[in-house]
Amino acid sequence: MSIPPDFKKSLANYKHNSLFWTDLLYLMSNRQQSLAATGPFRKFAINAKTLSTETIEINEDMAEFNTRLSGYYKQLSDTWNEAQKEYARKVPELPNDVEHMEASKRIWIDIFENYFTRLFDSAEFAENFGKLVSSELEIAKHWNNMASTLLESANMPTKKDMDEVYKELHSLRKRVAKLEKIANKGGTSNGQ
Amino acid sequence: MANEIKVDPQMLAEFIKLNKNILEAPNLAKSLDEVDLEVTPYEVVYSEGKIRLLHFNSLVQRQLKTPLVIAYALVNRFHILDIHPKKSWVKHLLNQGIDVYLIDWGTPTQINRHEGFDDYVNGYMDNCVDFVRKETLSDAVSLQGYCTGGTLSTVYSALYPKKVKNLTLTAPVIDGRRDSTVVSNLAKHMDVDKLVDTVGNMPPELMYYVFSILKPFEQGFEKYLNFFKNIHDQEYVENFIRVEKWVSDTPPIPGELYRQWIKDIYQENLLINNKMYVGGRQVSLKNISMPLLTQVAVGDHLVSPECSMPIHYAVSSEDKTLKIYPTGHVGMIASSFSQKKVLPEFAKWLGERSEK
Repeated sequence: MSIPPDFKKSLANYKHNSLFWTDLLYLMSNRQQSLAATGPFRKFAINAKTLSTETIEINEDMAEFNTRLSGYYKQLSDTWNEAQKEYARKVPELPNDVEHMEASKRIWIDIFENYFTRLFDSAEFAENFGKLVSSELEIAKHWNNMASTLLESANMPTKKDMDEVYKELHSLRKRVAKLEKIANKGGTSNGQ
Repeated sequence: MANEIKVDPQMLAEFIKLNKNILEAPNLAKSLDEVDLEVTPYEVVYSEGKIRLLHFNSLVQRQLKTPLVIAYALVNRFHILDIHPKKSWVKHLLNQGIDVYLIDWGTPTQINRHEGFDDYVNGYMDNCVDFVRKETLSDAVSLQGYCTGGTLSTVYSALYPKKVKNLTLTAPVIDGRRDSTVVSNLAKHMDVDKLVDTVGNMPPELMYYVFSILKPFEQGFEKYLNFFKNIHDQEYVENFIRVEKWVSDTPPIPGELYRQWIKDIYQENLLINNKMYVGGRQVSLKNISMPLLTQVAVGDHLVSPECSMPIHYAVSSEDKTLKIYPTGHVGMIASSFSQKKVLPEFAKWLGERSEK
């Protein structure tokens, strides 16, 4: 369940071509760009390459995501079909009355529950699910990068900048808590 | 008339009745927003960042001097321990004359993403325990940890054994390698570094997903069918809505805490092997020498008994009790069975080992 080599090759080709021409156009127009664009717009022009690279890479990861997603749905539908077959075997024909309907509902739930729990317990399912989430996160990363590029060009704090602030705050809070404990003589500097 | 379809009139009547119940449901049941999950009155006696320490108001004269501090799980909220007056874990303990405190972990946001075990155990938990010790003039407290709160309580007791008089663990997550649940299966195959580095905190959506694959047909189909069938049973409906509200509300988990959790407990299994480090200190389960009560449920599909039970054998406590109950993860703390069996045994065990 991976991307076919041919597809990977053509995607790599496309990526190379696209980046080559973006680079060349960027270099060729650099002088004119410098003259025409100033301030944040100049930054935006420079960032155009980053945005196009991210867009191309998103497509690459979308392919992986789609492969994993198809695998995921296949696992679900195969299990559904197997459970349905088992149910059909166990409950061939029942009279249409309340008592039998209740019994067949119970059997249906038990069979489907068993088949699906077996699927969710399997290493194959967990492995594919892990990779599915992972490919989703790769897409999110590109999206974050693109958003950061745009924010940077508008001189606004990016996710990375904010994270640095959070990290700093976290570290400061810890230091203050430690100092407070020492000041209150509630313990030693290791918090005991 | 070979193609004639024969339908039992009783079945048709049942079907019509169910449809009628579905139509009547909005008039008979509250929506989730209209339900207030607060049951037993409490006061917030200490808070730090997003966490709050709750002190429940006494209902009878206190019988035990040693206070009980409950470290609730990091998944969902503490209300399940006080979900309904007839099924309230907290209320039952208060009625036994136990002084009950509870740590509410609150709702972490991105500002909390760098908080890990160190912050939770050496920071929040230790500060809460110190507050209770000071407030009640006790050298040590009784500590109860539920689910992931059981793991935090285990780590805390190993690092601060003198502050814990009695340790009780209810379905604690201890030995990830032995855990046979779907949760553990997914956790073992997760790229937690990528998740935390990309999104920060563990998103609640991931937890909802995990809930949805636990007994999907019973929980996703039969449960709601039964709800409509019982729509005229006021107590059933009220309880159903309360539990549904609780299930649907799970906060994010701080990124670094989640990272260490998945890696150290599920993927590398460091805690049970005494190889886990928290705030630079090694967590040795042999340091746990106080009386220990471990409660597990055979039908637990979130934390399997095989995952919890190893703590009973790993500690150095001489006074230790292992209780295995024929119920599930939530059934152990919020059910009629819990009120009749689990809680009386819990309160008795605690009463015999607390200062009076």
